[in-house]
Amino acid sequence: MHKGFFTVTAVMATAGAVVLTGCSSGSSGGGGGGLSSPAGSSSCTGGGGLGGGGATSGGASNQSYKIGFQGALSGDNQQLGINEINAVKLAVQQFNAKGGQPFKLSVETSDDAGDAAKAPAAAQQLIQDSAVVGVVGPIFSGPTSATGKAYAAANMALISPSATNEDLTKSGFTTFHRIVPTDGVEGAAAADWLASKFKKVFVVDDTTVYGKGVADVVAAGLKKKGVTVLRQGVPQNTQDYGAIAQKVTSSGAGAMFYGGYDAQAALFAKALTAAGYKGLRMTGNGGKSEVFTKGSGSAGNGWYFSCGCQDATTAPEAKAFKAAYQQAYHTPPSTYSPEGYDATNAMIQAIETAAKSGSVTRQAVEAAVNKLDYKGITTTVKFAPSGEVAQATVNLYEQKNGKIVELGDIKKQK
Amino acid sequence: MTQFLNYLVLGLTRGSLYALIALGYTLVYGVLQLINFAHSEVFMSGAFGSYLVISAVVGNGKGTSSWEVPFVMLLGVVTGAVTAGAIAWSLERVAYRPLRRRNAPKLAFLISAIGASFFLSQLFGKMFNRFTNNQFPPFFNDNSVAFTIAGAQVRVIQVVDILAALVMMVLLDRLVNKTKLGRSIRAVSEDAPTAALMGIDIDRTISRTFVIGGLLGGAAGFLFGLNFSFFNTMGFLPGVKAFAAAVLGGIGNIRGAMIGGLLLGIVENIIPTLPWVGTEWTDVVAFIVLVLVLMFRPTGILGERLGRAA
Repeated sequence: MHKGFFTVTAVMATAGAVVLTGCSSGSSGGGGGGLSSPAGSSSCTGGGGLGGGGATSGGASNQSYKIGFQGALSGDNQQLGINEINAVKLAVQQFNAKGGQPFKLSVETSDDAGDAAKAPAAAQQLIQDSAVVGVVGPIFSGPTSATGKAYAAANMALISPSATNEDLTKSGFTTFHRIVPTDGVEGAAAADWLASKFKKVFVVDDTTVYGKGVADVVAAGLKKKGVTVLRQGVPQNTQDYGAIAQKVTSSGAGAMFYGGYDAQAALFAKALTAAGYKGLRMTGNGGKSEVFTKGSGSAGNGWYFSCGCQDATTAPEAKAFKAAYQQAYHTPPSTYSPEGYDATNAMIQAIETAAKSGSVTRQAVEAAVNKLDYKGITTTVKFAPSGEVAQATVNLYEQKNGKIVELGDIKKQK
Repeated sequence: MTQFLNYLVLGLTRGSLYALIALGYTLVYGVLQLINFAHSEVFMSGAFGSYLVISAVVGNGKGTSSWEVPFVMLLGVVTGAVTAGAIAWSLERVAYRPLRRRNAPKLAFLISAIGASFFLSQLFGKMFNRFTNNQFPPFFNDNSVAFTIAGAQVRVIQVVDILAALVMMVLLDRLVNKTKLGRSIRAVSEDAPTAALMGIDIDRTISRTFVIGGLLGGAAGFLFGLNFSFFNTMGFLPGVKAFAAAVLGGIGNIRGAMIGGLLLGIVENIIPTLPWVGTEWTDVVAFIVLVLVLMFRPTGILGERLGRAA
């Protein structure tokens, strides 16, 4: 009888592990509509296409090349992938629409579902296609660490618009570049800001690689400045945040930093409000999205976010981009769309440079990416030898009346 | 003290929901000696079913006046229960009855249960979405405080959860002990072939047992969704915990499931928040308690009870 129970429990645990791996990889993506299936254009109508090459006139040759895109285009985290692929396609369309180009470009998408286990196959698809000369992505850190070696071996230049894990540029992925600051840079900036205001801060993380990583950096930064830090972890699959919210409230901490993703942060926000917490609440880039805004309702108002990203709906540099995006997709650009646009335009410039210097090979493109100095709408794309973007701004955001608004460079905030 | 009371209230709330779900496991175990692993998805379906009705009735929830709130909640409990009852009924029809007809081994039931569980959670993911924080329309202020004991605030929603669970458990207890259906459930649990000889329709009794478990689970699904959030895989963790609660109280024992659920909820809220433990250990603590109890009382707190008046 009892043996029976334990067998049953074991089977359950195994089944559970399968379920968990399926559902617990967090999203830092933008929102989708209420309860309806996440909407988004998934049609793959890349600009130009290979066939277009023949129709061009006046070019040195009727060459055409492909820019690869590896990211989550299906599954739980597809919203972020959709935000980015739309921007990638827009940039390529705009390039092809300009007359007199020496070559045509098209986009080759490869879906990794945001899953590190599916990423190697997705990467192979792009590597095998000899027309692909550079890749925008991978968009998540997990898939990046699973494929960085293969891309490096193929000399394929990578420009990621959104993979923020600290270790990616320290793992020998020689062709990897990113245009966003790492979680470490972001966390340190957040810690500096919090330390200038509070003497006691409660740091909570969701025990994932991203969440714990950023929370560790924040906690270390605060301690260095002499701030008392209280630390707790709450597993990402938690549904009831009542206990931790109660603990934060009764600790008397002036501020609370949560390292984790949007959906969970929203639940935590509601629980904190219910527990009557009055202090400042803050989270990192993983929490900044419509998923948070929608899920937390009024409890999310007054939350602060640090993000090495640019809000395309307000930044003046992104005005033209915003209009073109809206026109093409009938929805405003969302989290990481502008970064996707910049990464693609930087890649296009690198291909142009390679074309001018002779032949467009993967090697030539990779060399050109390393020497890039491109002024984009979110940042100046110029890479340090490690692949990190040379100049990174961490911005502070706040949710006001159900909307996340950009307050500007966190270093300049009081 | 205030702190302790705060955590106790949180624990009672979560525990009463665990208890409602645990009853579904224990009832079915009673009649079939089978752990219905798809019960966690029955629970989930209750949340989605009640969402459809509630959002149709209250819209975005802004225009709901305070006197309507209790009725909306009642509607939620009822529609959640009915949806889940229907799902549980079909589950028994599709996943278990054909196997029973063919005298399939116990393991086949287990696989069938796991398959049904995956099917249902993916089906709801496909039909609705896969986000993990769907919310009911805010038709009431979920921060409003009902009363305060010794400085500890008790919110209205917590009172609703605990009361609803208590009422349903008392009703179930009456049903099982006093009615004809209850008697046939007990008879089938004790000795199914003999019960059949005495004129009890076994298939019908089993089917109704599933429905009763589904009704309770669905109501819990609504309350859970209202309290926290609901999504297609929401059933897994509460399902495992409720299963543990059922074992803790003594599987097959109805009062045991209630006590097990409450105990697990309280332990989960009080022990991890002690200064030297930490909330990342919440799930570990729950199962350590389970193991400790089973070490000293292998049949659970109240003991396994199959058939004997629960």
